Amino acid sequence: MEFLDAHTWELVGRYLGAGLALGLGGIGAAVGMGLSAGKANEAIIRQPSEQGTLLRTMLIGQAVGGSPSIFALVIGLLILFKPAGGDVVGATFAAVTIGAGISIGLGCFGSGLGCGWPGGAACEGVARNPRQSTSITSSMIIGQAVAQSPSIFATVIALIFLFRAPSVTGLAAFGVCLGAGIAMGAGALGPGIGSGTAAGGAVHGSSRWPQSSGSTLRTMLIAQAVSQTPAIFGMLVAFIMLFALPDLDLGIEGFARTLGAGIAAGFGGIGPGIGSGTAGDYACRVTAARPRIDALTLRTMLIGQAVSQSTAIYALIIALLLLFVV
Amino acid sequence: MDLTTVLSAMQTVVAQPEAAGISSAAVIKAGALIGAGICMGFGAIGPGVGEGFAAGKACEAIGRNPQEAGLLTRTMLIGQAVSESTGIYSLVVALLMLFVVGK
Repeated sequence: MEFLDAHTWELVGRYLGAGLALGLGGIGAAVGMGLSAGKANEAIIRQPSEQGTLLRTMLIGQAVGGSPSIFALVIGLLILFKPAGGDVVGATFAAVTIGAGISIGLGCFGSGLGCGWPGGAACEGVARNPRQSTSITSSMIIGQAVAQSPSIFATVIALIFLFRAPSVTGLAAFGVCLGAGIAMGAGALGPGIGSGTAAGGAVHGSSRWPQSSGSTLRTMLIAQAVSQTPAIFGMLVAFIMLFALPDLDLGIEGFARTLGAGIAAGFGGIGPGIGSGTAGDYACRVTAARPRIDALTLRTMLIGQAVSQSTAIYALIIALLLLFVV
Repeated sequence: MDLTTVLSAMQTVVAQPEAAGISSAAVIKAGALIGAGICMGFGAIGPGVGEGFAAGKACEAIGRNPQEAGLLTRTMLIGQAVSESTGIYSLVVALLMLFVVGK
């Protein structure tokens, strides 16, 4: 910690943190908007007479799906220009800014990418059924709004990083900041993508079978809620590290415990988040096509999602063991 | 403060932890603890994605043939249990690193 002076640490932290925030946070939204634009092009070729409506649908989808990257931009600018002050100086300031950058960067990656599927499905749906464009657009916006909640969790954690000093110092402060950043950021990545794919299936289904759009939307919201559990686990671990850390060795052992817990809780949530979203995608399509068996479909989806969440629970257990037991 | 000084300070920590005030036992324990986190974190990705895919396809199949829902759910659960095995391997190895190696 002593081999750099306080001002150098501060600049290293600002540049790395802002780079991670904007570099990672922009990828998802950009790819997601590209998915929407590609589907809009296909749709305009199929229905040239509806090009005005299709362009509007595409732009609404891209505007809503682009908001995670705007969260990342705001946090990135805060990381760059927020005045350093109080007791957070030098290496601790660097740790805090890098942690905030990882949290917001990875967190906005998932939600931005996820919003691309409902955007693309809405363009396809409007081309197939132009008279339903209002209801298709509103189910797209509902799906995208829910898919954005993981990125909002990540924004909250990044703001807490920037405005509240960590409770530990030394090498352990690096562990806490990196660990909580990864737990929240990577934990939000999978749920953001998964909620988006579930919304894509629902928009597709309700545009083909508009008469069953009520039960389709219900299945979508349940699927998205289950798919977001890993993000809540990640936020829980981040909150524990930021507010309720037990007495911790401030040297390399504290660093290893907090960083390890963050990696387990964060990356452990990616797979279950994406997997539960895939289950939701298929379940929404089936519910739309066959609303009479919606209870059976919902039950099968929930059983499958529960099994898929088991590895996120193992990862949460390992994270809690690392923080409280070992 | 130039880059060479930073690199040589880092090299001291990596090559001779004792000189930097860290015992090698602490370094080994730290490695086991971070390793447990990486093991369970990345090990959880595959089963989660795979089991979700199996659940999605089961829903699709039940949509085609609702009379066979019991058979399809059973097949889905067997497939998911097999897919879960790598997640359980990760859990076992992570617990070994926490309570056997890292002690």
